[in-house]
Amino acid sequence: MKLDNTVEVETPEHVRFRFHVAGPTRRAWAYLVDLLVRAGIFLILEIIMVLATGEHLGFTKSITSGGTLLSLFLIEWGYFVAFEAGWNGTTPGKRALKLRVVKVGGYPLSLTDAVLRNLLRTADFLPVGYLLGLLVMSWDGRFTRLGDRAAGTMVVIEDPVRVAPSITLDPPVTPAELESFPHHVVLSLSEREAIELLLRRRDLSPARRNELADTLAPLFARRLNLRAGDPVRFLALLHFVAVGGRVAGVGARTGAAT
Amino acid sequence: MSRTQDEFVAARKPAWDELDALLARKPLLHKLPPVSISRATGLYREICSDLMRARSAGYSSDVIEVLDSLAARACAAMYSAPPYRLAGLRELVTAGFPRSVRRHARFVALATLLFVLPGVLGFAGALRSRGFAIQIMSESMVAQMEKSYSDLGQGRDEGTNGMMASFYVYNNVGIAFRCFATGILFGLGSVFFLVYNGLLVGVVAGTVTAAGNGRNLFTFIAGHGAFELTAIVISGAAGMVMGYALVDTGRRTRWASLRAKSRDLFRMIMGAALMLLVAAGIEGFWSPSGIIAPVKWGVAGLFYALVFSYLIFAGRKAREDS
Repeated sequence: MKLDNTVEVETPEHVRFRFHVAGPTRRAWAYLVDLLVRAGIFLILEIIMVLATGEHLGFTKSITSGGTLLSLFLIEWGYFVAFEAGWNGTTPGKRALKLRVVKVGGYPLSLTDAVLRNLLRTADFLPVGYLLGLLVMSWDGRFTRLGDRAAGTMVVIEDPVRVAPSITLDPPVTPAELESFPHHVVLSLSEREAIELLLRRRDLSPARRNELADTLAPLFARRLNLRAGDPVRFLALLHFVAVGGRVAGVGARTGAAT
Repeated sequence: MSRTQDEFVAARKPAWDELDALLARKPLLHKLPPVSISRATGLYREICSDLMRARSAGYSSDVIEVLDSLAARACAAMYSAPPYRLAGLRELVTAGFPRSVRRHARFVALATLLFVLPGVLGFAGALRSRGFAIQIMSESMVAQMEKSYSDLGQGRDEGTNGMMASFYVYNNVGIAFRCFATGILFGLGSVFFLVYNGLLVGVVAGTVTAAGNGRNLFTFIAGHGAFELTAIVISGAAGMVMGYALVDTGRRTRWASLRAKSRDLFRMIMGAALMLLVAAGIEGFWSPSGIIAPVKWGVAGLFYALVFSYLIFAGRKAREDS
């Protein structure tokens, strides 16, 4: 079983892309935000009714108490359906936590889906506090509760990511340094990512960075029959060569990206 | 032509940023001018091919992740769900709802039995022994029931009527939704709520009858009962359809079998909710009015004839779409 929480979908154009599905914690926070928003909506409706009718609040035999019951009904059963159907799978709470409900195929949900997945909250809530929903979530890689499965939906994280800056060497690579490296170095994707992860980390002290690099560099050095002097510099150079970096004055080098 | 990752990113990034900006624009994509929309679809296709290229060339995961999330957001913006139209509601009322109820007539019949039989049992039990009623309801509830419905038919003021109608919406639609939703537990929740509610209605009627106010009670519930009781039965039947779809899956997976029923489920539960809104109006304003009993019974008969002929005949002529 996969450990990362991504789901791959294929569009009608046969393009595959991955979603990050949201886990229970993040969804619980969104639910909490929605709970506050619902309480706020209820309060505003109550204030409007009191101002409009001039009556006092409370369950007296009055228009206000009828209105109170109606707004409770609408907020309990209508809030999630209205937002998810009208706001493309998001609610204020989901927006705050960058979540969106989508069909498992990656496209937007319909009114039918929104109604089904939210009516079934009643079943997911059983016996108390969404316990059943949580249990069912832990059964599959998409973290879907009963309502999600009945509607064929999942909750994904929509966090815009930025391209990380490319790795630069400081001081810049000199032709002399490159002389010692073979022209063609092949690193596997995970090897390259391990090196990138180490070189991009800004929160490491130089000593710790050195220590970590020292566990990696000898492995590569042995494989390429090289001597790793400064391990950090060695890994940076290795990465530079592997991705096909060029230095002015030295001919184009081919890397793993061919 | 081979390109290093950095060259690839440098060359393609302007297009990615452009699509990113289009998706983040405040009027949503489908409300932008046509030029922007066709630009966005073009960019979407480009980004899809960038994504495939990045994957096959083995570029690092942060680049692929950027493209993944961009493609996912663009896809969500482009393939939108069908718009909601008022015609959809009309279709539901005139054809969709009664048709879906008829398609699952067996479950409706079963749900009727599960509701009516405990009701008859509860009525007979409460009529014969007060102890039986106390087993089902609390003693204070029984005592309250024995006192109520003695002065029915005097009418109430409008404010009270409105308040009660709102209460019936809140309470009864809630019951119907719960009765439906718990059907996901292989139908067991719906069965439980049907039996429980049937029993409760029966015991209340039995208790009130035993206290000598049976005529008043039945005159009161006859009118809205046509809509209310039928709607509760239909919502329970929908829950059972949902639960049964998980058991008898045909050649589908369990959840696919359920999803194949989702349109019928939606129509049945929404139709039942609409019926309960009608029932709440009748129960709030008509049922407690001071109109003489024979008229109320006549109208109740009319309501029953209306509900049953609606469920049996409505939407038969219209073209069956599935």
